[in-house]
Amino acid sequence: MANIISSGLKNSINRELKRMTRRPIYFISTVLTMAFTYLFFLTFFNEGQPNKMPIAVVDLDNSAISRQFTRNLEVMQHSHIVMRLSSHKDAREEMQRGNIYAFVEIKRNFAKDAVSNCRPTITFYVNDAYLIAGSLLNKDISYISTASSMGMQQKILRAKGVDENRIKSIIQPIVLDTHLIGNPWANYGTYLLQVILPGILQLMVLMMTVFPIGVEYKERSSREWLANSNNSFLAALTGKLLPYTIIFTVLGIIGNMLLYNYMHFPLNSNIGWMFLATFMLVVATQSVGVLFIGITPVLRDGVTFAGLFGMLGITFAGSTFPIEQMPVGTRIFSNFFPIHHYFEIYVNQALNGAEIHYSFCSFIALISFSVFVLLVFNRLKKAAIQQNFPIK
Amino acid sequence: MNILNKIPSLNKAISIIYDIIHVSKKEFRTMFKDRGVIIMLVLAPLSYPILYCSLYKNETLTDVAVAVVDCSRSHESRELLRHIDATQSIHISNTFSTLAEAKQAYNEKKVHGVIYIPATFSKNLISGEQTTVSIYADISSFMYYRIINQACSNCIQDMNNQIEIQRLNASGINGEAAKIISNPIPFDGVGLYNEGAGFASFLMPAILILVIFQTLFLGIGIIAGTSRGENRFHLLVSSSVHRGGTFRVILGKSFCYFALYAAWSFFILMVIPRIFNLPHIGIPFDIMMLMIPFLLASVFFSMTVSVFLPHRETGMIIFMFMSLILLFLSGISWPQSNINGFWKVFAWIIPSTCGTQAYIKINTMGSDLHHVFFEYFSLWIQTILYFGTTCWAYYWQISKSKHRMAGE
Repeated sequence: MANIISSGLKNSINRELKRMTRRPIYFISTVLTMAFTYLFFLTFFNEGQPNKMPIAVVDLDNSAISRQFTRNLEVMQHSHIVMRLSSHKDAREEMQRGNIYAFVEIKRNFAKDAVSNCRPTITFYVNDAYLIAGSLLNKDISYISTASSMGMQQKILRAKGVDENRIKSIIQPIVLDTHLIGNPWANYGTYLLQVILPGILQLMVLMMTVFPIGVEYKERSSREWLANSNNSFLAALTGKLLPYTIIFTVLGIIGNMLLYNYMHFPLNSNIGWMFLATFMLVVATQSVGVLFIGITPVLRDGVTFAGLFGMLGITFAGSTFPIEQMPVGTRIFSNFFPIHHYFEIYVNQALNGAEIHYSFCSFIALISFSVFVLLVFNRLKKAAIQQNFPIK
Repeated sequence: MNILNKIPSLNKAISIIYDIIHVSKKEFRTMFKDRGVIIMLVLAPLSYPILYCSLYKNETLTDVAVAVVDCSRSHESRELLRHIDATQSIHISNTFSTLAEAKQAYNEKKVHGVIYIPATFSKNLISGEQTTVSIYADISSFMYYRIINQACSNCIQDMNNQIEIQRLNASGINGEAAKIISNPIPFDGVGLYNEGAGFASFLMPAILILVIFQTLFLGIGIIAGTSRGENRFHLLVSSSVHRGGTFRVILGKSFCYFALYAAWSFFILMVIPRIFNLPHIGIPFDIMMLMIPFLLASVFFSMTVSVFLPHRETGMIIFMFMSLILLFLSGISWPQSNINGFWKVFAWIIPSTCGTQAYIKINTMGSDLHHVFFEYFSLWIQTILYFGTTCWAYYWQISKSKHRMAGE
């Protein structure tokens, strides 16, 4: 019995490998797609943070103080002054054209008011329609404004004869000291990649599980597929999916290595856990794929649903917007996405560097996705023999 | 009849229009007979916007759980913590006596941040020295970090201002003078176009345009792939069309897609933002004017690519993942100014980039059509360009199939 299955498995693998060379789609949607994805995101986010974003200054005062302020702004990491405009209206229009993401307005008589204790206000406008650009620039410009104000205070206090040692504690009694757990640089690009790369991986795994199985039903070759594997459906199915498990695990691990070894994204645990998680993500996603094609062994529907599900997975990983702040019910629903559990493992292990037992539940969850295969196993087998489904 | 014969051009025009209507009727019929196409061209564009809007409807985080390690246990530290707890964004859920305990709670995902107040906190404040408050924030989502940092720094800033005035008073600077010195150059940061810095208001407009583009693209791919895969390309060419048939087939088909998506665009771009309270300060007429070239360019772009798809599933399997790449290329999250040259050009080729930018500028930022001249003009250029490539691709396909039919 075991002999029959193992030889069936071998036949099934050989058959699948032959099929893979027959049509270009197999190569395109495994290696080529992932290679393109890696290449795209690594070159796209090569800066890590969006640096030197264009901003404008409306300096109606044109005094030594206002110019000093502009110069200070110029050295900040995220901003780059590309325009000096003469009115608020011009600046607003440039903003609406998308040429600048923020502008600072310094009113007439700014310097005069500053030295005569009239508290002139610096006003700046950031474009939060582009939220990332907006908040980074907001941080930069606020910082410079606070620093200018503190510099001014220092000057006044010195003039008033306050003891130099006490000035700092008067100006800023409490200092806030912010630590980002696990990712001290708050690097936006690499932060996003942690969910995008596995997100695209699971999408392609879904597609390349549904397609190779579904195409057997579509082309009415399922009986031959089964016969080739000594009539063991277990061998037929395993043999068909095993090549993809290996291909996608390797591609996923390459992705991990690009992130941690090439991009030097913070890794606070053993990289082996991430490799294991990647492998389990691939297998769990394949199980979901089998479920989709098992519900209706019709290729066209399988691919559509797998695609829509895969796209949702990226949202449900919970990186962009935290799951627990989404509507109730979403939280339960998110558990049906393997990538959600993968992301939990990443957060616990690579990011936070917690002990492995905190990720135990996530690993178990990933394993339990294989139950999906059992749910549809008999149905798929029957459909393979009877070939009673529409082929379109 | 005689009169018609005397005006051959009119006669021809009528026959062309007749053919176009014929082709587009036929296309509508094949579309609605195919379940896969209905899912992609009807169900997805109508349900995806609603689904995503509901997922992101909270816009921003509220009551994020944080732990506190208060080693000072003083009147001052309790006051600061009371203020932090009172903010909308933070909820102090646990109090621990050591950082190790807080770390465990953090690892168990009970809290998303830790506020640490050192034992010397109140002593330093009373004796007029500088002191530090540390926060440790979860970075698994940027939203956590941002909200925790913002709330704490605002509360600390408020407290600083109070203490500063007290200390100035102690140094003999009183009244209005102390107030002025405590903040000689106040600043006022104004966030435009998305007041609450909401996540949905930022991302959803881009997703809406991409839903239109991607479903249209994949849907047309399914239709074309089906006819090619089943090797009945000749059905695309109506039997009543003879010479110059390519144009009529293309115009007929594109009219059918355009009409369908004109209706969806109205729903997705005009109705959805109003239902879900997304930004919608744009002039509806401008959005309509923008959608004409955007839809045309998208239709012709999709038709061109679709000719090369051998089977109905091919398009979806190969291009589904592009949705994400297009989102980044559109320059909404990663600013367009920071996209490097190659990808900028690559992004320009695809109509969704200019479409997204222009839509956001008009709809979210209230720009006029002349502010988005570059995008608007680009979309018309793309329309012409892709109409040309579609003609070429269809002509090539039709002549190939005619050849084959002649061979048979």
